[in-house]
Amino acid sequence: MADSVTLARFGSVDVVRMVGEVDMSTVPGIERTVVPPLRSATAAVVDLTAVGFLDSAGVRLLDTLVGDLERREARVALVVPPVGEVRMALQLCAFREDLLQPDLTAARAAVAG
Amino acid sequence: MSVPETRDSGQELPLPWDDTAQELYEHAPCGYLTTLPDGTVVNVNETFLSWTGYGRADLVGRKRLRDLLGVGSLIYYETHVAPLLRMQGEVREIALDVRCATGRRMPTLVNATLNYDADGAERVIRVTVFDATERRRYEAELLQARRTAEESERRVRVLQQVVADLAAVPTASGVARAVVAAAGPAFGAADGGLWVVDGDRKQLVLAAAAAHAGFRDVALSAAGAAATVVRRGEPVVLAGAAKLRTELPEWAPALLRQGRQGALLVPLTAHEAVLGVLVCTFTEAHAVSDSELQLARLLGQQAGQALDRARLYDEVRLREERAVFLGEVSRDLDGVTGLAERARLLAEMVVRGVAAYAQVRLAGEAEVLAEAGEPAATGTDIELPLTVRGAVAATLTLRPHGGLPVPDPAFLAELADRAAPALENARLYEREREVARTLQRSLLAGEPPGDLRFTVEACYRPAGGGLEVGGDWHDAFLITPDRLAVVVGDVVGRGLHAASTMGQLRSAVRALAAAEAGPARLVEQLDRFVDRVETARMATVAYAEIALDTGTMTYCCAGHPPPLLLPAHADPETLWEGRSAPLGSRAGRRSRAEATVRLVTGDRVLLYTDGLVERRDRHLDEGLDRLAAMFATRRRSPMKGLTARIADAMLMGGEPPDDDVCLLCVSLGTEPRLERTIPADPYRIKAVRTDLKGWLEFRGVDEDSADALLLALSEAVANAIEHGYRDCADGTVTVTATQLGDEVILRVADKGTWREPRPDDPARGRGLFLIGKLTDQMEINTDGGTTVTMRRQVAGG
Repeated sequence: MADSVTLARFGSVDVVRMVGEVDMSTVPGIERTVVPPLRSATAAVVDLTAVGFLDSAGVRLLDTLVGDLERREARVALVVPPVGEVRMALQLCAFREDLLQPDLTAARAAVAG
Repeated sequence: MSVPETRDSGQELPLPWDDTAQELYEHAPCGYLTTLPDGTVVNVNETFLSWTGYGRADLVGRKRLRDLLGVGSLIYYETHVAPLLRMQGEVREIALDVRCATGRRMPTLVNATLNYDADGAERVIRVTVFDATERRRYEAELLQARRTAEESERRVRVLQQVVADLAAVPTASGVARAVVAAAGPAFGAADGGLWVVDGDRKQLVLAAAAAHAGFRDVALSAAGAAATVVRRGEPVVLAGAAKLRTELPEWAPALLRQGRQGALLVPLTAHEAVLGVLVCTFTEAHAVSDSELQLARLLGQQAGQALDRARLYDEVRLREERAVFLGEVSRDLDGVTGLAERARLLAEMVVRGVAAYAQVRLAGEAEVLAEAGEPAATGTDIELPLTVRGAVAATLTLRPHGGLPVPDPAFLAELADRAAPALENARLYEREREVARTLQRSLLAGEPPGDLRFTVEACYRPAGGGLEVGGDWHDAFLITPDRLAVVVGDVVGRGLHAASTMGQLRSAVRALAAAEAGPARLVEQLDRFVDRVETARMATVAYAEIALDTGTMTYCCAGHPPPLLLPAHADPETLWEGRSAPLGSRAGRRSRAEATVRLVTGDRVLLYTDGLVERRDRHLDEGLDRLAAMFATRRRSPMKGLTARIADAMLMGGEPPDDDVCLLCVSLGTEPRLERTIPADPYRIKAVRTDLKGWLEFRGVDEDSADALLLALSEAVANAIEHGYRDCADGTVTVTATQLGDEVILRVADKGTWREPRPDDPARGRGLFLIGKLTDQMEINTDGGTTVTMRRQVAGG
């Protein structure tokens, strides 16, 4: 599967879907793609369901995205399957549990105004 | 007879003089012959006799008609005229050459009739002969004119063919070949060669030749036809060997050897300039007609224009090729990192593109950094300085292929412009990487604190693939005499920034630890530090403090993989408590937790960075499990080199790690086996003695035994240094101490040469004597160096 990132909008919620490996080599490209559109978001979901590998650079990117959104008082949730690499990496980094949602429906509900 | 007064049509005009039939016959404006049926002349008129110069008596009754004909006409007469005459009774306008008395042949037209007698038998042949000299000349002229026209047409066809051929070949060399090929059909030349003007060298040089290979180039300033043709732009014809010798002195000997007797030199012209000379050579002294000269001029113009066009085409094509090549140079050089790799690729590309051999040297260095191609290739080297910001960074030396045009200066300049920054960037990159590595090494190089209550072992494995250094670090230091701090951390990113950030964090941890506030508070304070140092944000750290008197370990993991505890007598345990987010995290829990675990003597704790367990082809928890299993099997493994062995085992088999790997293992309590290797230097004995003293104390060895073992050790080490390494200043001595039950075993090994103590060496003899007194048993093994093994029963332990 090609590493990529797509952006979509459901109502007032921006959904960023990352696919493949999110690591030192792909993070700069993903960052360029997602950071500008999310600047105006009021609610955002980052879907990591299709991410197979997440390294510290990826964690740092997610941390930055969440930090920026929350500083603007935008709501944000991460879709992270209950088991797997990504949840483990994020747990290692002690991401707040309230940010992590098991699926897209739950995440959209979590950020819905 | 009088002139008639009146005229009356139908009435015969009276002549003013008598014109008898005989006279009319004799002086008619044509020749008359009367012959017998066999052709024997019986009568002939005066006109014929005067034309041919015969006398009447020569002919009548003596000659037959056929005797008066030329050879060609005779055959014609016999085979065509005579049979036709017999068949038809007459022939008309037969062209026959009559042989005159003087031998001259007179072209004539002949009419003849055959007369029969009353019985129908052939009686006589009457022949009229008209002089056709003028008419024949006219016919010959007509024929000649037709031949000339045909020849002219043929030349036009040749020219058209050449023009078509020239149009079809795109390259200058193809044009040259086509022009040379035209020399034969156009002028009937034996062969030809095309010589082109080399403006730089002011010479005519051979471009294509059927037979001129090996002929000398001709200077444009030379006397002779070749240079003249170039100057004047007009064809020159040279007929005969003498002309060749005087007008083509450079080529004449070879031409004459080839049997050439003539030459036609045709200038190739385009835009008023002479680009070259077509040299056609002939086996005879060839007279060249005006029309041939005209053809030569036309051919020269056509070929000149084609050559001009082909040269432009060649130049365009060469430029295109060079542009593609230069583009590839830029792109491909960017595709590799590393100075040596880039230099080698550059040399290889130059050899593939424009040269037989190429090498790259750094400025100020004699050594060749990279080379490619055939070092034995002949040719003149071109030294191309690669300058960056006005300074020569490196030199590219290239040796063009013999026989091919030398790359033009503009191309070389562009090549240098592209190669120079690529090499310079690689050099700067390597230097930066070297600086980062040096910085990293200097930061990691600190000796772990020496204390017999614990042992610290650490190792650092840089990522494979020549990546920049990462920001991993490990550290161990005593906060107070009874409190040990161990830390492993990982800064996001690579390179100099990461390495220097790592240094800042490492110093910050040391400074903050001094406050003795405990791990959680320390990490909170690190958060505040990181808020000011953006490059440190999201760095992870595992930090633990161990109270050496109680064995209590308090630890804290800020986004870092969990420490691994290997109890002396239990299964490994992953320490999942005390977790919080990476430093400066915005999405993670910033409330810093810490956890406590009790360690006993022999317990080991491993801190590591994620590179050890995190791999693309393996789940993280698999990595953690594998590490735990790996660690468990090394429970009894000596601490010395333990972390390196774990790193090797964990990283074995996969791809080279794409992240740096850093491990730190701390073992509580003393080592079961003391092992020290020191340089063969008497001043280093004290350090070993101190370590052994602590080790023996820790093991509760009684004081007398400890003193005895310490003295025995000192003597044995001194012996090794003084005698074993008498001839060698840089040996090492390895000391090991182990305890088996109530026996302590000391080994002192060196790699020097054993000498039997001599009676006149009292000091050494005394040393061995002392050891003998101080220990229960002493063995000396001199197999490949010397190992002294000493055993002593001890109390306690």
